[in-house]
Amino acid sequence: MTQLVADNETQGLSGPKRSVSIGVRVRNSRASGVLLVVLILCAWELSARTGFVQSTNWPPFSTVMATLVVDVTDGELLPLILSTLWRLARGYGIGFAIGIPLGFAIALLRPVRLVVRPTIELLRPIPIPAIIPPLIFLLGLGDSLKLSSIAFATLFPVVLNTIAGVMAVEPIYDQVAKTFGVSRWTALRRVVFPAALPFVLAGLRTALGLAVVVTVVAEMIVGQDGVGYYLVSMQFAMRAADMYAAIVLLTLIAYLLNRAFILAEGRIIRWTRLREASGDAS
Amino acid sequence: MSVTALHQVSPAPQGARLSIDKIGKVFTGPSGGSVKAIDGVTLNVEPGEFLAIVGPSGCGKSTLLQVIAGLMSPSSGAVRLGAQDVTGEPAHMVYLFQQYGKSLLPWMSVAENVMFSFRHRIVMTRSAARARCDEYLAMVGLLDFADHYPWQLSGGMQQRVAIARALAAEPKVLLMDEPFSSVDALTRLDLHALILDLWTAKRFTAVLVTHDVDEAIFLADRVAVLTHRPASISEVIDTNLPRPRLSIETRESPNFLALRHRLLAHLLARPGGAAHDAR
Repeated sequence: MTQLVADNETQGLSGPKRSVSIGVRVRNSRASGVLLVVLILCAWELSARTGFVQSTNWPPFSTVMATLVVDVTDGELLPLILSTLWRLARGYGIGFAIGIPLGFAIALLRPVRLVVRPTIELLRPIPIPAIIPPLIFLLGLGDSLKLSSIAFATLFPVVLNTIAGVMAVEPIYDQVAKTFGVSRWTALRRVVFPAALPFVLAGLRTALGLAVVVTVVAEMIVGQDGVGYYLVSMQFAMRAADMYAAIVLLTLIAYLLNRAFILAEGRIIRWTRLREASGDAS
Repeated sequence: MSVTALHQVSPAPQGARLSIDKIGKVFTGPSGGSVKAIDGVTLNVEPGEFLAIVGPSGCGKSTLLQVIAGLMSPSSGAVRLGAQDVTGEPAHMVYLFQQYGKSLLPWMSVAENVMFSFRHRIVMTRSAARARCDEYLAMVGLLDFADHYPWQLSGGMQQRVAIARALAAEPKVLLMDEPFSSVDALTRLDLHALILDLWTAKRFTAVLVTHDVDEAIFLADRVAVLTHRPASISEVIDTNLPRPRLSIETRESPNFLALRHRLLAHLLARPGGAAHDAR
């Protein structure tokens, strides 16, 4: 398949000249991007080492990384990371398990749409962390509070993208299903769902980012464990290096989750990418 | 893509007579106004017959065909296949869409697209389904492309996949909505020959809607001419051309040219007809 795409006129005719220039450009852009990151980290390192920023709470980057390695290897952080990930997975899972069917129901069933849509539009603009304090009253300080918040954060992008995806399904697909006498359920499963899937996955990706944020915020506000709780504890304990280590760790986790998602997404809807590459516009 | 071998087997026409009985269709606009698209069309299509319906662009041909297919309900009149009313689920009829590029499902391979037409109605093993799929792909000369995605194929090949998919459902009636209008001229002649070969082999009833007079005469037993909107039948002409029809010779025969002259004169004579047909 990849071969066929490469054989496509638009790419096949370009020859070596174009591929070199693209290669150079990609390398340049990558290099310049990485360079800026390195520069910022160097500035951090230098500002702490030279005393440009004088504070016991401003450890050099190298110290932070060393602390991170120690904290992870001595086993202090590992259970916290796992509890954060497990919490995230459950909250996110609940959110999308509700969100996808709800999105389909709203898009496909007019009565559901009429009843539910205004509520969704009203709830949507609420900043998610703002619901945590009232939820504490309702759910106490336990895990159900955190899971609800994460699920709530996940729900909206998933529902809204699913609706958009189902609405964007080509009307002709319905007719194709109809002319072959396919049942409504089969049409939903084999036609509407795959047609809407790219939108649904985009919603899930947005939701994943939000879910990470809300997981950490929830742990920071009402934590007994998790990396968010650890982060706040280290701040209270004035252990700046450990605090920054936790932040670096969270950054890494969020980054890796997003990369993993993009990878999985690319596999699940491989046809969209290949189709774009093949130059098929429709 | 030779399918001449198919000529040897020519089973008896299958299925029942398709009766289109005083079909009318009125569209109600959002502002409450209504437009009459079809005005009392009556047609009978015999089992195994090839009927073409020609008319100027925008005369309501596609609407008529969608009503016949059961994809749209008529405002008045009825469509019957044999003794059965066609409503909603169009049993034994398959609609071949004009926009082949859009009607093929892009997330399915060519083979999956073809199997989609029958797998959900008929209980059969995976290998039996695949065999049936391959049989039809072979008929349109695309067996080697079974595992490609439709968008990796040219327009003409995509339409051949759509034809294979439609016929793999083994319909009694194949309804074609200008299926050859968006491919280049040579590919179109190719597809004409292909559809005639398949029709000869499978003996389904064929109804073709087109604005191309040559196409209608070349393919059909009878040509029904529609008036301007609201569409009604102004004339039904027997082509009486011998079969098998030959891509070049048939189109150069005096009878073909005479029919062409007559139909074009008829279509162009109407007020406003020339302006529409000149597109």
